[in-house]
Amino acid sequence: MKRLMTTAVAMLALGVLLSSGAQEGHPLKGSWLGEWEGNSVHGDNILLILDWDGKAITGMINPGTDNMPLGRASLEPNGWVVRLEAEGKDKDGSAVRYVIEGKLENLELPNRSINGTWSSNKGRGTFTASRQ
Amino acid sequence: MTARSVARWCLGLGAALCAPLAAAHHAVAAKFDDAKRTQLTGIVTNVDWRNPHVHVFTNVTRADGTVENWAVELESTVLLKRSGWGADTLRPGDAILVDGPAARDGSRQVWGESVVATATNRQVYNVTDTGPTVPLAPRPTPRGADGKPLLGSSDDAGGYWAYPTSTVMMQAGANVQMNKDGLLARVADAPRVAPFQPWALGLYRHRQERHLADDPGFLNCKNPGAVRQFQTPYGVQFVEDPARDRIFVLIGGGNRNYRIIYSDGREQTGQVQGDDDNPLYYGRAVSHWEGDTLVVRTTGFNEDFWFTNGGLPHTDQLSLVERFSRPDYDTLRYEVTVDDPGAYTAPWSTGWELKWVGGEELPVYFCQDNRS
Repeated sequence: MKRLMTTAVAMLALGVLLSSGAQEGHPLKGSWLGEWEGNSVHGDNILLILDWDGKAITGMINPGTDNMPLGRASLEPNGWVVRLEAEGKDKDGSAVRYVIEGKLENLELPNRSINGTWSSNKGRGTFTASRQ
Repeated sequence: MTARSVARWCLGLGAALCAPLAAAHHAVAAKFDDAKRTQLTGIVTNVDWRNPHVHVFTNVTRADGTVENWAVELESTVLLKRSGWGADTLRPGDAILVDGPAARDGSRQVWGESVVATATNRQVYNVTDTGPTVPLAPRPTPRGADGKPLLGSSDDAGGYWAYPTSTVMMQAGANVQMNKDGLLARVADAPRVAPFQPWALGLYRHRQERHLADDPGFLNCKNPGAVRQFQTPYGVQFVEDPARDRIFVLIGGGNRNYRIIYSDGREQTGQVQGDDDNPLYYGRAVSHWEGDTLVVRTTGFNEDFWFTNGGLPHTDQLSLVERFSRPDYDTLRYEVTVDDPGAYTAPWSTGWELKWVGGEELPVYFCQDNRS
């Protein structure tokens, strides 16, 4: 019975995932949920909202009261290398300058992912995010 | 409701939601590898006469005596019927010789490029249909009460447009080799197809290198939106509604949906962009006449589909100017200018013609699963 339930839930989740809207335009456009591991200033979890206006990648990290607008952002199609820069503040109000560098993987899937590293003047670690 | 029945319901729903993924319609090269040429001799066990692809299941006896059941995949029932074939052209027990490319994934499937009934040495299930014969002397363009060309039927017999002279897109003068699905003969030619932005060229190359296997029109039964509706083998039907100043374009392939072209002089106002609640695969189209040409401007497309065969990318900034003219009774000329500053560095144009299929309704064709 447990196996049947597990299989059923897995099938349902897979079905919902696969039937959800694809996004066939600019590969970075959308909402991305992930982790910047070891980030003692802004926590391990990250939400990225990315958009493309035809000329530039724009967006926001962790929309809300502690949000950080993206500064420079780029996608290099040769190798699908992503680079995102943003500036936030720590609890003391000091500037924290982030650089995220990673590779866009599973480009053809709606839930494609970015895997790489993050670094700032306060630390560094691994970065992963997948498109929701 | 017991936990078991809930689980079974979830299982069924999950399977139903997965069904579009299993929908087996695809570009031939997405599933079959032309480098893996295969020849089979066997005995037919079943003919699965269903869209999107017909399958002839065949028992093949190997040299060591083992019997393998192979699926010989063919075109759709619509295309096969047009060529004069039926579900009973082959019957269980018939011996056949099959030649074609085998499946990329190593499964026992082969594309039936050539199927020969060995008893009669007759080739069967080949697509020979080239459409209705066009009269030697062109028939005059039918016109409505306002003197403008009719794009739809001029009598009760009905009819639709099909057999496009091109099923792919590239900018005028590009002259790049690609097959009918838009798969390039050489991926290196990709930059010549359209004036891509760098990311769009990269994505187009990626789709080409994957043999168009990620086409959402086939994987998820997404609509043949934008230009693609005029590339399907199942045609389009114009239904003109002069009383309400609009034209319906009924789509023969995909999900039997339709597009509305407004001709009442309205502007592109209101919601001109699709969203999750109102996904605009066909955009929002307004039109006017320039002489005998209907000029249609369309914006507001979503990004959930491929707007043409071959996987050229687009964004929600896509706008089209389409020009429809009917130089004679049996010819529809289609010209389109693509303007998408999100994906291309400049507007680009192309065009082709479609043939009139008189006295018939659009063929019944649904995107559906026939692998189960």
